Amino acid sequence: MGVSSNESIQLCIFDLRRGQHEGQELDKILFFFPAGLPFSKQLSVIGLSEGLITFTRIFSPEAACEVIEAERHSHVFHEAEPDIWMVMLVEKSNDSEPIWRDDALRKVLKEIHSLFVMFHGSVRAMLEKEPGGGLTRRHLYSFIMDYLRACKKQSPWDNCCWDFLAGRKLLLPSFRDCLKERGTVQMLTIGREAAIEVQSLVRVLESSAGNSLCYSLILFQDLLVSTTLSPDDTINLFTYAVLRLTPHALSSGSSSWSYLRKGSTASNVATESNSAHPNTLSESLYGTSDISSGEDNNYHVVRPLQSDKWSKGKDGYLVTDLWGAEVGTWVFATPTVWLQQTGEKMYLCVYQHKSLTLMLMIPVSAVPNGEQGVSEVRRQIIENASLQILKVEEKLSKGWGGENAYHVGGYRYLLVDGDRNVSRASPATKVTTLTKESLLAMNKLRQEVELEKRRAKLDGCNFEKDLEMCIRTKNNAWVISRVTRGKELYMVLEKAGETLLYAKDAVEKFSDSVLPMPNCYPY
Amino acid sequence: MNDDETESEGEIRASVEPASEDAPSSPGSSGYVGEGGSTSATTGSQFEIEHEEIEEDTTIDMDRISISDSHASWIPGKRHFDEDDGSISWRKRKKHFFVLSHSGKPIYSRYGDEHRLAGFSATLQAIISFVENGGDSVKLVRAGRHQVIFLVKGPIYLVCISSTEEPYASLRGQLELIYGQMLVILTKSINRCFEKNPKFDMTPLLGGTEIVFSSLIHSFSWNPATFLHAYTCLPLAYATRQAAGAILQDVADSGVLFAILMCRHKVISLVGAQKDSLHPDDILLLANFVMSSESFRQVELTSESFSPICLPRYNPSAFLYAYIHYFDDDTYLVLLTTNSDAFYHLKDCRIRVENVLLKSCVLSEVQRSLLNGGMHVEDLPPISHSGSSHLGQHMLPSDSPDRFREANSGIGGPAGLWHFIYRSIYLNQYVSSEFPSSINTPQLQKKLYRAYEKLFASMHDKGIGPHKTQFRRDENYVLLCWVTPDFELYAAFDPLADKALAIKTCNHVCQWIKDVENEIFLLGASPFSW
Repeated sequence: MGVSSNESIQLCIFDLRRGQHEGQELDKILFFFPAGLPFSKQLSVIGLSEGLITFTRIFSPEAACEVIEAERHSHVFHEAEPDIWMVMLVEKSNDSEPIWRDDALRKVLKEIHSLFVMFHGSVRAMLEKEPGGGLTRRHLYSFIMDYLRACKKQSPWDNCCWDFLAGRKLLLPSFRDCLKERGTVQMLTIGREAAIEVQSLVRVLESSAGNSLCYSLILFQDLLVSTTLSPDDTINLFTYAVLRLTPHALSSGSSSWSYLRKGSTASNVATESNSAHPNTLSESLYGTSDISSGEDNNYHVVRPLQSDKWSKGKDGYLVTDLWGAEVGTWVFATPTVWLQQTGEKMYLCVYQHKSLTLMLMIPVSAVPNGEQGVSEVRRQIIENASLQILKVEEKLSKGWGGENAYHVGGYRYLLVDGDRNVSRASPATKVTTLTKESLLAMNKLRQEVELEKRRAKLDGCNFEKDLEMCIRTKNNAWVISRVTRGKELYMVLEKAGETLLYAKDAVEKFSDSVLPMPNCYPY
Repeated sequence: MNDDETESEGEIRASVEPASEDAPSSPGSSGYVGEGGSTSATTGSQFEIEHEEIEEDTTIDMDRISISDSHASWIPGKRHFDEDDGSISWRKRKKHFFVLSHSGKPIYSRYGDEHRLAGFSATLQAIISFVENGGDSVKLVRAGRHQVIFLVKGPIYLVCISSTEEPYASLRGQLELIYGQMLVILTKSINRCFEKNPKFDMTPLLGGTEIVFSSLIHSFSWNPATFLHAYTCLPLAYATRQAAGAILQDVADSGVLFAILMCRHKVISLVGAQKDSLHPDDILLLANFVMSSESFRQVELTSESFSPICLPRYNPSAFLYAYIHYFDDDTYLVLLTTNSDAFYHLKDCRIRVENVLLKSCVLSEVQRSLLNGGMHVEDLPPISHSGSSHLGQHMLPSDSPDRFREANSGIGGPAGLWHFIYRSIYLNQYVSSEFPSSINTPQLQKKLYRAYEKLFASMHDKGIGPHKTQFRRDENYVLLCWVTPDFELYAAFDPLADKALAIKTCNHVCQWIKDVENEIFLLGASPFSW
């Protein structure tokens, strides 16, 4: 589809309401990666996408095009907002079957969009504020490029990768990630006593801002301990925390950034010299380069996903200059996020003690005197909650089983609670011991289950899909899926007995020992 | 749920009007980029206008379709000639099939008048060629419940648009069969017409054959041969089948390429000259062609015909000549030869065959078998040798005509067994049990058929298959599948069936089939026979 062989991934966002007239087609494009691709090729991708959206609506007006499978490429569609489409185009290796699930790729698109909305509000709202679209393009461009770089850093895998960004690797979810679920949170299992301590900490935290309605999120390592946010907002903030805020995220960066260097401004952060878009035309479309040198821009584009920009201050709070600084001071502006559920703009305060990360969201409207008010709240928290924080951290550390805490010997599993968007899985290091065949079979099985789930959803039948599948593969592994009342269990058993009854027993034993998962929601 | 066979009403048309010169012209592929991406200039705006209408009429229309849905009263031939892509009813059909030429000319549409679908056809062509121009080829588009499957065969494009839950591999296989059915009628030499004239209009060549395609498409919802790629035999006593086979062999030795005796879609016996063996897909397409064409059936008095025919798996480029004769409403003989002058010789052969069949009562045995049906799950012998005692259901001998009156009604076989399909790899044959009374409506049968189809596709995944075993339980069934180098077993149980008992029962079914294989399979028909 207008793709030469060395471009293995393309990602675009376009608005069907724009560029309706001949000669203005370029106006549709809000984002295109790689930006250096000639416009004719960009338009060809978008033209095909748009054509198929229109075509499929003839038969399926309620759900337009989701995926195009061609011999050599997959196009994955996501209508992020009405008439605003995201399309990811990935090249297949050789002539083989796709090694990813389109659903997993779609979840990447969804994640990009929800995070974007959390920090910047909806794309449509942004376009309405500034019909020219330049600002929106600039925001999308820097945001998505930062996101892709984050992905590149996060990925523990070294195979099946995508070569871009000057030779660096970006890894899309492949069959090797079939025992993971993007868009879910991973929970820490805690005892009753610890749970009570956590609850009282939450109360203290949320009452620190006076009478205004605050929300909090507590993580231990990269696992969620408690949240008072809605499930959707929880996922967004959890995802962000794991990408940028937890001790693990802070240390995985180059950690060269520190308070001491704050005077040298942001421009010293090494950004990849982006050879991918030398095209001056595209620069004018997307608004100069992605380097936020600060001075040449008419607007300040906040780039919340930029790496190595958070650090821990002396008082235990994480600080960043990503949101700029108060004019004439060295006081960094407090980050803000939009909550999906309430539509409210919130200040985001992050406190860290050892492995414990506390996130407090305070309504901007509730803090009349801006930064000053926020520092007051911070001070309050330290005053009121310090002891409790120490106590909780200690308790959780003691109970913490380490990286393999949720490993169950002999099993490689993924457990998803679709109602609460919670998942738990075998540690990645254990999943890597599985053979490629087993993982491919599980990947296929998940695809089948996803189709069934999607159909049940389209049929609008409120009863949850109840499905059990148990497959003995060519390489003598069992790949198993069990879907009951919104909960999904996937497991791979290698070196297991031959009979189906053996597999059945194994599943039952597992279900008894691991289910049910902890509940992080107070409601 | 309403179903896709909504053809109980409507007229049957046996021929198409000649191509009209003023059919809508192709909007061309440039529509995508230059003109803002609507599928075509004309149809695009039409869609916009009628969008509202679809939404509002949904419930009414769905009701109408489901009421008119009746598989039992399936009438062969094409319906809904008055529809086109502007009609809401047309858009709501659950499964469309289109054949078009690479220049976008419609060749066949399951629903609606081909000529009124010229614009739509051009849109399909535009999608295919747009992707092709980018050095790729489109296979599948998915949107909500719908899948659009594309298959390119030289100058001929085949497209299926379906909201049935069938897997991609099955639908693609169905397109392959439709293409095969076209070859049966025309051979691959049709490609040369397109080489000479890309705008060549093929519809006149297929005039009067809609009924062949609609009957094939209908078989996609009941005939397991369409996805198993195996044929099935009419159950007969070993000696009876032997008698039929012997005389077929006799005529085959006298210069007949293939001699096939069939009852409806089931094989009674077949014989090939030398080492040639027939591909099961060829048998399927041949039987469909013969049975759906009224002309073969209704030749008064003689009921014999001689027709050029192509077997696409045997040789897609050449015609064979088929002598076709019906002995009664269900049983027919097909003699195939490469010689176009062989009519009288084949007629003599047929007379010889007929005499033997009458003398050894084969035809009456065939009628008896039709009445009795094949394997009934209720007749599965009790598990005696395996030591299980809690399945003490009394079973009648398999040839008892009183079976239905005495067996407990509707529960099916032991351990909740409802149905099974057994496919012998070496024989290229399958046997499917009769439906129990719990699956007594065409809708329920089609549902089970689709479940098997899905299971088959899941087991035989192109990349990682075939798997060895599969257990699957949903709200409708427990399904078990077992694939070995010798055979494949697909079995459906009550959704509440016990796993351990179901497995035991499957083993038992396999044993039962081994015990009666003489009667249910044609042995010695292929070089791989046991």
